[in-house]
Amino acid sequence: MTGRRTGQVLLTLGGMIAWAVQFTIIYAATSTLCGRGWADATLLGIGVVQFTILSTTLVTLAAAAILLVVSLRAERQGRHQPVSATDSFLCQTSVLINGLSLIVILWHGIPGIILPACA
Amino acid sequence: MNAPELPKSFERREAELPNPLPRPEGEFEALKKAWEPPGWISFVTAVNNTYVGLWYVATAFLFFILAGILALIMRVQLAAPESDFVSHDLYNQLFTMHGTVMMFLFAVPAVEAASVYLLPNMQAARDLPFPRLSAYAFWAYFVGGLVFFGTIFFGLSPDGGWFMYPPLTSTKYSPAENADWWLLGIGFIEISAIAGAIEIIVGVMKTRAVGMSLDKLPVYSWAMLVFAVMIVIGFPAIILGTLLLEMERAFDWPFFIAERGGDPLLWQHLFWFFGHPEVYIIFLPATGMVSMIVPAMAQTPLVGYRLVVLALIATGFLSFGLWVHHMFATGLPKMSLSFFSAASTAVAVPSGIQVFAWIATIASGRMKLTTPSLFVIGFLFIFTLGGLTGVMVAMAPFDWQAHDSYFVVAHLHYVLIGGMVFPLFAAIYYWVPVASKRALSERLGRWVFGLMFLGVNVTFLPMHITGLIGMPRRVYTYPIGMGWDALNLVSTIGAFMIAAGVAVFLYDMARNFRFAGEDNAGNVWNAGTLEWLPNGNYATRSIPSVVSRDPLWDQPNLSKDVEDGRYYLPGSATGGREALVTSPFDARPQYILQIPGPGWQPVLAAGFTAAFFLLLTVKFVFTAVICGILALGCVIWWLWETDPGPVRPPADIGGGIVVPVYVTGPMNHSWWAMIVLMVVSCMVFTCLIFSYLFLWLVNPGAWPPQDVRLPGWLWPALSAFLYCASAVLIAVASRQLRGEDRRKPRSAPVLIGVSLPLVSAASAVDLWTQWQTGLSPSAHAYGAAVYAIMSLQIFFVLTTLIMGLYTIARWLAGKLDSVRRTTFDNTMLFWYYTVGQGLVGLLVVHGFPRLTGGI
Repeated sequence: MTGRRTGQVLLTLGGMIAWAVQFTIIYAATSTLCGRGWADATLLGIGVVQFTILSTTLVTLAAAAILLVVSLRAERQGRHQPVSATDSFLCQTSVLINGLSLIVILWHGIPGIILPACA
Repeated sequence: MNAPELPKSFERREAELPNPLPRPEGEFEALKKAWEPPGWISFVTAVNNTYVGLWYVATAFLFFILAGILALIMRVQLAAPESDFVSHDLYNQLFTMHGTVMMFLFAVPAVEAASVYLLPNMQAARDLPFPRLSAYAFWAYFVGGLVFFGTIFFGLSPDGGWFMYPPLTSTKYSPAENADWWLLGIGFIEISAIAGAIEIIVGVMKTRAVGMSLDKLPVYSWAMLVFAVMIVIGFPAIILGTLLLEMERAFDWPFFIAERGGDPLLWQHLFWFFGHPEVYIIFLPATGMVSMIVPAMAQTPLVGYRLVVLALIATGFLSFGLWVHHMFATGLPKMSLSFFSAASTAVAVPSGIQVFAWIATIASGRMKLTTPSLFVIGFLFIFTLGGLTGVMVAMAPFDWQAHDSYFVVAHLHYVLIGGMVFPLFAAIYYWVPVASKRALSERLGRWVFGLMFLGVNVTFLPMHITGLIGMPRRVYTYPIGMGWDALNLVSTIGAFMIAAGVAVFLYDMARNFRFAGEDNAGNVWNAGTLEWLPNGNYATRSIPSVVSRDPLWDQPNLSKDVEDGRYYLPGSATGGREALVTSPFDARPQYILQIPGPGWQPVLAAGFTAAFFLLLTVKFVFTAVICGILALGCVIWWLWETDPGPVRPPADIGGGIVVPVYVTGPMNHSWWAMIVLMVVSCMVFTCLIFSYLFLWLVNPGAWPPQDVRLPGWLWPALSAFLYCASAVLIAVASRQLRGEDRRKPRSAPVLIGVSLPLVSAASAVDLWTQWQTGLSPSAHAYGAAVYAIMSLQIFFVLTTLIMGLYTIARWLAGKLDSVRRTTFDNTMLFWYYTVGQGLVGLLVVHGFPRLTGGI
């Protein structure tokens, strides 16, 4: 697999990988912080659990947004110049996956705002 | 080596097809001879996907019927209150075996089996890339599965429920061997599933029709690709879980015993990290089947192809974020539950996308109401209902009310029967004309559908109410006057309606299914995909190039031209079995893969492997070890005939395309398989590290326990040095083997020989170091976790040793040189993985307790 193809695969799956990273971090952090009784600690004035969830969500959201912009650009370029059917397909699929990933990441970040940390 | 550029052959007119007519005399006969299956008793050694695939499907269906009979016995028991048709002991075995057999011996093998048969046909490949691996997976499953099922007749079946929660299944509460049958039997069958998954991944990515680029890949192939990747990621968790529980039962290593630092919840995490994706592992192939059937029945291309691919990939990812929704009642923090609740609702979106794509396809065409169509409609109805109750139980507060009640039983049967069994029946009615001389009966098919559709709803719809009014699952009887009597009787009547439907189906099969070598019933549905090309044991006469997702609709005369041998590779370039390997993205021809033919090796290896695991269960350790050695011997015998090297110069496959008959490195199919195997190994190891960290989390202040002394840094540093030194020597051996300097390659086997003691010493030093501190694996979960990490590493080192010795033997036999080096490459990749895993293991075992300072 060439470097260009590897990049295309990463771009296509990138949004979902960002979600997987967010999910792993927020679940692991909540379990560890609650399990060890460290949930009362604060960072920048908010609880450490909420802080971890919100900051992870923002970072992964930004990553998915960047991937979406990149894939949208690639898709738009493909309309104006001849590209192979495979390239065109991968571009369009990556737009769809990264778009869906944005919503899914946001959806997983919401509990951090509305729920108590370790109840 | 780059794939040769294809001439713009995809748009060629008929006159410009890759190979001219007439074809040389004897070309077709030679092709047929190469693919002929063996006769008489040796027939069991056949490896053609058409034979192995059908045996596989038939065996999976046999287990469906056997597990269904167990369900009927349970329904008879529950038809009336206070019944004593079966004892509570037998009832426990019945529900455990029903769930286990349906999930592990029917559902996953059935979809894997169908793909062994269908994928090569659908992608116009001559076979899957590792046909002997398919045969091995099948025979291991066949022997192991039948013996496992046979335990029910001796009262030895597992009885702890299909998810085998400890402490109920630990030695204290289940001292007999029933639980061991589950742990060793199922753990072993999972290995067979992983072998199949490796085959499917490489098959989908590397053996396709020319021009079948990713945008033209059949949705079924996409579904199977995601399915196989999910197996590779998800199944290692259950393999590790069964290993840990068996080690606890056999050696008293307390992973799940709370009094000694273990935690039963660890099992639940490991089980459901596999168990929930498992639902999608069987659902996605079914959706792939539906996405092939609906366009054929509506005579129009699938609407929203890209959205369906998106849905498959998104489901594959999101399904790994759901596992804790089976653990909502275990007291985890609500914040944690909410993440899984969110994922459980989010996963409904991609499933919904697929449902709408099918409805849109039906709406845009003219749907013929055939038996496959009826089963698809039934699937949409039943699965959607199951999905709706799924959204209900995804809400933690509702789940707390419905947990462990018949509501959950109703939900899971709606999802699994709707999401897998109905599509499978649709698929059987749809694809039988590919494998049989006659299609199945439409009239009988409607009876089958009617009985099964009504039966499923009559059985399981009332169960929602039975559960909501309080009937818990897994009770062997219930008292009169609870209000459950009539509902249970109705459910029992429904179960027998389903059985009647299956009986009519069996009659239809007996009456109409006649295996077809070359004269199948043909394209009876006027479908557009390649499995409907004329075919035989050799698959298609020539490998077509395709220009769309429905080539039979868009390329007139394709069937005839393929059958006449006018497309690629119309004969056998090497005189044996071979497949055309194509590039993974654009499906350009890369090389000709020489495929091994029939042989006793996979059959014997599977039999001895099954015997090894099953004899261990009944504690016949010595005989088991003998069988294990014999299995290993058969695998080496099998491998010895592989890696044939460039037996002839590059061959012209037509259209001016000349491809080699042997390649090495990242283009090689076995390189891909080895990478997938390394991902599997990495997932097992990752789950083990997760287990280590989980046990740390539940043992505050006791990691390590007060009486445990950590070893000094010197010994682990020495161990790390030895690992690195062995890897460096292998890298040097690789370079020398690859190099142009012909004076040096003799040192390659010597370097491997020197690396062997180094890598062995590395793991031995670490084991000795821990042993010297007096650390016991059975005193506390800490010791158990440390020894588990070391045990896994020792297993990998032993495997590396065998591979290293085998590589040296190949060299000595003159079967390994600078060109013919696939064996070395595989050993090298595995060696690097083993060293990497060893280093991470050292870091965790020696670094983590120091990092956390015992908190």
